Amino acid sequence: MPSPPDSTSRDVSADVELIDVTKRFGSVTAVDHVALQIERGSFYSLLGPSGCGKTTTLRMIAGFEQPTSGEILIAGVPVAGVPPYRRNVNTVFQHYALFPHMDVARNVGYGLRQVGVTRDEEQRRVGEALDLVRLSGYDRRRTWELSGGQQQRVALARALVNRPTVLLLDEPLGALDLKLRKEMQLELKGLQQELGITFVYVTHDQDEALTMSDVIVVMRDGRVQQQGSPEALYERPVNRFVAGFIGQSNTIAGRLSGLDLDGGMASVETPTGLVLNGRITDHGARPSIGDEAIVAIRPERLEIAPGTPSPTAGWTSVAGRIHQETYLGDQTEYRLATDLGQLVARRAHHGHAETTTVRSGESISVRWPDDANLVLVA
Amino acid sequence: MVRSGARRWRSRIATALLLLPAATWYALLLLVPLVILVVFSFGGRAPEGGYLPDFTFANYLELPTRATAFVNALWMALGGTVLCLLVGFPLAYYLATRAGSQRTLLLVLVVVPFWTSFLIRTYAWLTILGNNGIPSLLEDLGFGHIVLLNTPFAVLLGIVYNYLPLMVFPLYVSLERLDKRLLEASKDLGAGRWATFRQVTLPLSSAGVLSGVILVFIPIMGEYIIPALLGGGKVFFIGNALVDLFLQSRNWPFGSAAAIVLILVILTAVTIYLRVGSRGSGSREVSLL
Amino acid sequence: MEPVHFQKLYDDFRLGRIDRRTFLKASGLGLAAAVIAACTPGSSAKPTEAAGGGEPTAADWSPPSGVDLGKTLYITTWPNYHNPRTIEIFTELTGVAVELNPLGSNEEMLAKLLIGGTGWDVLVPTNYTFETYGSKGLLEPLNMSMLPHLDTSRYDQKLLANAEYPAGSKTLFGFNKDWGTTGFTYNKKHVTKPMATWKDFFDLAQTDYSGKVVIHDYQLTSIGNALVYHGYSFNSVDEAELAKAEELLLAVKPHLFAITSDYQPPMRAEDAWVAMTWTNDGAQLHADIPDIEYVIGSDGGEIWSDFYAVVAGTAHREAAYAFLDFMAVPKVQAFDATFHKAPLVDSAGIALQSEEVRSNKITYPDASSLTKLEFGTAELLTNQARADLWARFKSA
Repeated sequence: MPSPPDSTSRDVSADVELIDVTKRFGSVTAVDHVALQIERGSFYSLLGPSGCGKTTTLRMIAGFEQPTSGEILIAGVPVAGVPPYRRNVNTVFQHYALFPHMDVARNVGYGLRQVGVTRDEEQRRVGEALDLVRLSGYDRRRTWELSGGQQQRVALARALVNRPTVLLLDEPLGALDLKLRKEMQLELKGLQQELGITFVYVTHDQDEALTMSDVIVVMRDGRVQQQGSPEALYERPVNRFVAGFIGQSNTIAGRLSGLDLDGGMASVETPTGLVLNGRITDHGARPSIGDEAIVAIRPERLEIAPGTPSPTAGWTSVAGRIHQETYLGDQTEYRLATDLGQLVARRAHHGHAETTTVRSGESISVRWPDDANLVLVA
Repeated sequence: MVRSGARRWRSRIATALLLLPAATWYALLLLVPLVILVVFSFGGRAPEGGYLPDFTFANYLELPTRATAFVNALWMALGGTVLCLLVGFPLAYYLATRAGSQRTLLLVLVVVPFWTSFLIRTYAWLTILGNNGIPSLLEDLGFGHIVLLNTPFAVLLGIVYNYLPLMVFPLYVSLERLDKRLLEASKDLGAGRWATFRQVTLPLSSAGVLSGVILVFIPIMGEYIIPALLGGGKVFFIGNALVDLFLQSRNWPFGSAAAIVLILVILTAVTIYLRVGSRGSGSREVSLL
Repeated sequence: MEPVHFQKLYDDFRLGRIDRRTFLKASGLGLAAAVIAACTPGSSAKPTEAAGGGEPTAADWSPPSGVDLGKTLYITTWPNYHNPRTIEIFTELTGVAVELNPLGSNEEMLAKLLIGGTGWDVLVPTNYTFETYGSKGLLEPLNMSMLPHLDTSRYDQKLLANAEYPAGSKTLFGFNKDWGTTGFTYNKKHVTKPMATWKDFFDLAQTDYSGKVVIHDYQLTSIGNALVYHGYSFNSVDEAELAKAEELLLAVKPHLFAITSDYQPPMRAEDAWVAMTWTNDGAQLHADIPDIEYVIGSDGGEIWSDFYAVVAGTAHREAAYAFLDFMAVPKVQAFDATFHKAPLVDSAGIALQSEEVRSNKITYPDASSLTKLEFGTAELLTNQARADLWARFKSA
């Protein structure tokens, strides 16, 4: 296979690389100038609501779609014009796409037969793959006799048996019920770590992405909003969309009233005159005084106490009332009516003996430390 | 208990009543004629033609004299079916997968010829294939003098032309129903276009192929208008022999014997085909036929 | 075009109400119509003006007064055999709508009559059918009191006698519509060898004009003329003679363009150069395409006559007789013949035909050319050996 002249200068530790890739369907831009570097051996998730371009991105890597502009490299080699069946990449499809006219073993061995491995080798590797997904002994079963989870495993085995450079997974757990989904998430993560294959995983479920991924790419309207580790995305969402999509946030709108760009700090004044100090999450941003900004605070950072607020340095306190209380098992969620509007607080239960000290309708004070203030300037 | 028993009886009576028209229809128009055919086939010919009660195997013993007509029909039916399949499959595939917004229009175009009488459509070919039609065009283009009309070619052409939609529609339905994601899965797993067609598209559309083949093969076996018009009485099917036996020479008993054997030939061919078809493809749909 | 409209046109065409060309044009059968228009000389469906003739009117014939004729009449006849205008005039004068049902052969007519339940009222059978139809009671003897315009004294008695049953009984089951011969046509443009006999016909069919010859899809004429080839009687049912005829037909078969009684289209399109032909078709073809000549085999062949007859048990007896009486009017016969071009039998009808028609040697050949011709016998219609021979020949 010919190497592109500049391939040596590329980071060959990236299994998949997208360089400024755009995909248009007629007048609709599905993927808009996307650049990605997917590290070898990583679990990489494309996360976003439906229509954000994540599936189209995946299909371009698989070869089912060709980019309108830009370039895709797999293992450092450009793949423009290479059909799916010549890419060392395999896909686990959303609805499994198992062949109904073949039994489990023939489904799993399909890819091996295309490259002409011997019958013995096919049988051996199919056996191994079925072992891997814990479906030994299901060889001769018809695929439609299997449960959803079992079909999912067959689809996985059918893709993995070909030892692909990259495994693409297109919302593979979407059709399963919650409990099975949780189990499969762990199983998938375990498999990925065991095999060391690069997984590119498309999902709209943030929990799923947070649970499994090494890197999450949040997409919206065809554009990458932010990419990074689950922690980084949760702790430092760069904009309101990411903050809202990954985990829950209270958002308070205002204008920038103080800036320390070198220290990455800012003050935001709300229309009611309250000033909130916090960290600017987007290091690249260069905002000015007076710009609109949003302060996001995670619900678990809010502390609730009966009585009226007492100002404390390094903390923000506001008065309010408990509007609604929802018991969630391991934690309780409170909806609070405050001077800043409705806020959501969450309090984890520590042990069975805990007693709730606040009640619905009760006047309370809400407070949080300044380091809980995430200043979003975009 | 008593009540549910009564209800069961009522429901049985209702079922029987609802099936009665269909049952009467089949009895009167299928079974009774079939019985008459069997009875006639052992009879003799009346002096002025028709049927004379008798019991003889003479009609069956004389059947070898019509072997050519049987063989002609059989070969043409096989050839016509294969041609319809070869022409119809790509068309159905295109309609089911590629046609996009044109699909409805194209489907209608496939049916349009069916809006006119079968006879008229075939009659039109008489002029097109005649001396002043395509042959004169070919002659002008320097292909020499070519006779098309009243040849097996003309009959085959008429057959494919008239029966193509009967092949295309079942194929279209099965291809349209085919999950396109399976084709992507196949390509994803390293199978090229042809390999995907052979291993996925074809086996999964086998039910459509099967019904198309049967829908086309059976009527061609019994065809007589196309060979009469485009074969000029020279390309002779068993259907033409039957028309002659009943309407010209009025040898009803011999005609009945020939008709019975035709029915048996078709039944045998269909049975063999169904056996082979259901064994060849593992598809579930086959067993529904 | 609306399918319904098309179907109507097609029915008109099939039933002989309009000719092929009008049909193809009106129906817009694109290529077919274009090809026909460009390449085919006009069909003879346009009646030529007849001196002393012209369209019959109420002055020439009016329906019997005080009789309810009903609404419809079903006539079973042959293709291209009635002037559509004649039928229209009958409908105008009586209010009776006529359905024409053209068949392919007398054998088909007999087969369907034997099955029964045809619903037919009037037939146009050929001379050799009366014995079978009479003995089977398929026709009713003519009620002369219902045919005031029929004067059989003007008819050639030899031709008329064919309709008697039993033969010689003077009980008529029909009266002559017209008569004719079974010869052959050839196109001078392509046929240069002299063709005068059935021997020429079958010999040249296997050699010079191989692939260009049509014979009837009708055992009676095709076997009959093959018998004449060997010098036997047109009417032979002799086993050995039939075997010789079969041998000849089988030898000729691979050389034929077609075995069909619908030979006008291939002759017009020059797909065929030679065709076994009935007088009326020969006259129609020659009128449109002068290169097409009609020949009566000098070695023999068939002379025939077709009749108007009433089907036994007709549901429309009054209308059937009204139609027969209408067709017995000499002026109506002369007018009708401008279309079908077969010779008439009624001397008064002939007298009204134009000089051009009366001197037409195809329609009215010299008596000397008819001497060797034979009327088909009743036996031919029902003979099993002939029927079997023909079925064998076709499926060979």
